[in-house]
Amino acid sequence: MKVLTDIHTDFAAVAASRDVMVEENSRWHTLRQQAKAQFERNGLPGRKEEDWKYTSLWQLGQEQFKHQVSQPGHADIYDLQLVEDAYRLVIVDGRVDFTASSIDNLPAGLTVSPLSQAIERASEFLNQQINIEKPGFNALNTMLMNEGIFIEVAANSQIDKPIELIVVNTGRTEHYAMHLRNVIVMNESSQATFIETYAGNDNANGLTEVITEINLAESAELFHYKLQREALDHYHIATIAAKQAANSKWHNSNISLGGKLARNDVHSQLLGEQSHVTLNGLYLVTGEQHVDNHTRIDHAVPNTTSDEMYKGVLDQQSHAVFNGKVIVHKDAQKTDANQSNRNLLLSRGCEIDTKPEMEIYADDVKCGHGSAVGQINEDQLFFLRARGLDEISARSLLTFAFAVDVIERISNQELKKSITAVIEKRLPKGGNHE
Amino acid sequence: MKMLEIKNLHAKIDGKEILRGINLTVNAGEVHAIMGPNGAGKSTLSNVLTGREGYEITQGEVIYKGENLLELEPEERARRGVFLAFQYPVEIPGVSNIYLLKAALNAVRKHQGLEELDAIDFLTLVRSKMQLVKMDEQFLHRSVNEGFSGGEKKRNEILQMALLEPELAILDETDSGLDIDALRTVSEGVNALRNSDRSIVMITHYQRLLDYIVPDYVHVLSEGRIVKSGDKELAKELEKSGYSWVHDAPEPEGQPA
Repeated sequence: MKVLTDIHTDFAAVAASRDVMVEENSRWHTLRQQAKAQFERNGLPGRKEEDWKYTSLWQLGQEQFKHQVSQPGHADIYDLQLVEDAYRLVIVDGRVDFTASSIDNLPAGLTVSPLSQAIERASEFLNQQINIEKPGFNALNTMLMNEGIFIEVAANSQIDKPIELIVVNTGRTEHYAMHLRNVIVMNESSQATFIETYAGNDNANGLTEVITEINLAESAELFHYKLQREALDHYHIATIAAKQAANSKWHNSNISLGGKLARNDVHSQLLGEQSHVTLNGLYLVTGEQHVDNHTRIDHAVPNTTSDEMYKGVLDQQSHAVFNGKVIVHKDAQKTDANQSNRNLLLSRGCEIDTKPEMEIYADDVKCGHGSAVGQINEDQLFFLRARGLDEISARSLLTFAFAVDVIERISNQELKKSITAVIEKRLPKGGNHE
Repeated sequence: MKMLEIKNLHAKIDGKEILRGINLTVNAGEVHAIMGPNGAGKSTLSNVLTGREGYEITQGEVIYKGENLLELEPEERARRGVFLAFQYPVEIPGVSNIYLLKAALNAVRKHQGLEELDAIDFLTLVRSKMQLVKMDEQFLHRSVNEGFSGGEKKRNEILQMALLEPELAILDETDSGLDIDALRTVSEGVNALRNSDRSIVMITHYQRLLDYIVPDYVHVLSEGRIVKSGDKELAKELEKSGYSWVHDAPEPEGQPA
C-alpha cells in the first residue's frame, strides 16, 4: 500500500477500483490525467509554502490510506441532520446511501444528484474555481474524486427547503480516505440554502478530502453552512471556492470542531459589480487538535462588498491557524471590505497563529480588519460567580457568549438551534445557554 | 440575631497590607454605612467579603450566620444570601440579562432546595421586580449591561438584588456615577428592600447617598481600620469637615497595634 505522497504511483489501481466510469476522451478523464501529472511533479505542499507555514502535512503524507471500501458501514443519520425537512443526500464511506437520502421529490428548477450520476453536466463545471498547478490537494482531488453532490438551481427558482449533504466516515474501514467533489450551479436570480455536514464515528481515523465549487450567476443567492464534526483522529481537508457574478450573494458559515487536522480554504471571487460575500467562521478545538482556516476574497471589479468574521475557541494543547486574505484589485473602486478574527484561549498550552492580510491596489475603498487574542475576562467570571454560578458553568457561559455572534448570523432558525446544541456540547461543560 | 461578624480582619494584596484589623458586627435588619477616603480599604473590604481572588487574609475571621465566610467560594456565598452590588458592573456581551437573572435565581433556589421557576412564573416575578427600579422590559433581552448608561447599570444591580432577596447586601459605591434622578430611583429600590431580616452594608465615599438611604450606623474607615463609629449624624460631620481629621484620630481602644 502506498503512502499518500506517492499515491500517483498507484493511481491505475486506485482508479480502476472505483465505481465511477470516466470515459476515455471525456473532459473529466483529461483533467484526471493532467492532475496526475501535476501531483507527480509537485506532491503535497511543504511548510516552505507560505500557505502551509503553520500546518505540517508530513504526517498526513505518510499515512497509508485505503481509497475504496468494499462494504460501507452504517451511520445513524437522524442524529446528524441539522434540519428536519430537507432535500438530502447522504454519503457513507464514500458511497451514496439512497435509503437515508431524500432526493426523489425535487421541485421544478432543482437538480440534486450524486456527482457520479451527473457526470456529463457536472464535468462542464469541474475545476473552474480551482487551480491544479498549485502543489497540493487540488491536483490530488481532481485525480481521485469519485463522488459528491451536484446541485443545480434553474434561473429564477427559489428553493423552498434547504439542501443538505451529510458525509460520514464510519470508521468501519481503518484509514479510509474519501475524495469528494461538490458542484453547485446557481443560475440567474436563483436562491437556495445548502448545508453540508462532515461527521464520523469516534473511532474513524481516515481522511475526508473535499472540494466544493460554486457558480453564482447574476443575482443568484446562496445561503451556505458547513459543519465539520469528525472524530479526533480524523483528517479533514477542504476547499470551498465560489465565483460570483454581478449582484450575486454568497453567505457562508464555516464551523469546524476540528480533528487531528482540519484545513479549510475558502475563496470567493467577486467578479461582478454589486456582488457580496459574507464569510463567517467558528472553530472550537481542544486536546491536540489542529485547525487551519485560510480565506481569500478577491474584489476584482468596482462596487463589491465583503464581510468576514472568524472566531476561535482553543483549549488544552490545541493549535489554530487563521489566514485571511482580502485582495482589492486595481480599479476595484468603492470596495467595502471588513474582516475580523478573534480568538479565545482557554488554556496556556494552546497556540494561535493569526494573520489578516489586506492587499489594496485601488484608492477609493473602505477596508478594515483586525485580529485579537484574549482569555476569559476575570471580572466577568467573578461577576457571574458572585451571582451564584459555579466556576465551570460561568466559564462555559462566557465561552458560549464569545462564540454567539457567529451563531446569531445564521438566518435559518431551525439550523441555528441545532448548531447551538452541537456547539454547547463542545464547551468545557455542556449546558443550555439560550 | 448576628448576621455578620468581622473580627480583627487583616488582608494583603500584592504583599501590601490594606486591611489592618477591622472589627464590625452587623445584626439582622440593620443598615450600616462604611465611609472613608480613597485608599482607606473600602473596595478591599467588599472584595474580601464576596470572595474575589488575589487577596491574602493574614489574620482574623468573618462569620456570616454562624459560618466561616472566608472558606466559601464566591458562588457559595452568593447562594447563601450574600449579595454584592458592584461599583463597576461588568458588561457581558453575548449573555442576555434574562439568562443571567434566571441562572442566578435558580442557583439560589437550588441551594434552598426549591424547584426552578418555570418560564411564566419567572417572567411574572422579574416584571414585578423591574417596576421597583423603573426598568423597561427591553433590558431583559439585551446583553448584560452592554451599552447601559451608568444609571441603568446600577438599577440593573438593584434589580438583581430585588430578585435574589439576599440576607446580606453589600452596596459598593452604589451612588458613584449617578445623577440625582437615578440616585433617587436606586435608593427607592433599596429602601423598598429594607426589612427586619435583611442587613445592608453600604460602602461609600460621599455622604449624599445617606440622605436617601438612611443608615442605622455609620463607620469611618481609614488606613484599613474603623476609626470611628456613630449614627447618621457622624456622616453629616464628615460632610462638613472632610476626612482629613481621621488620620489624626487615636487608635481605637482594644485594637492590636
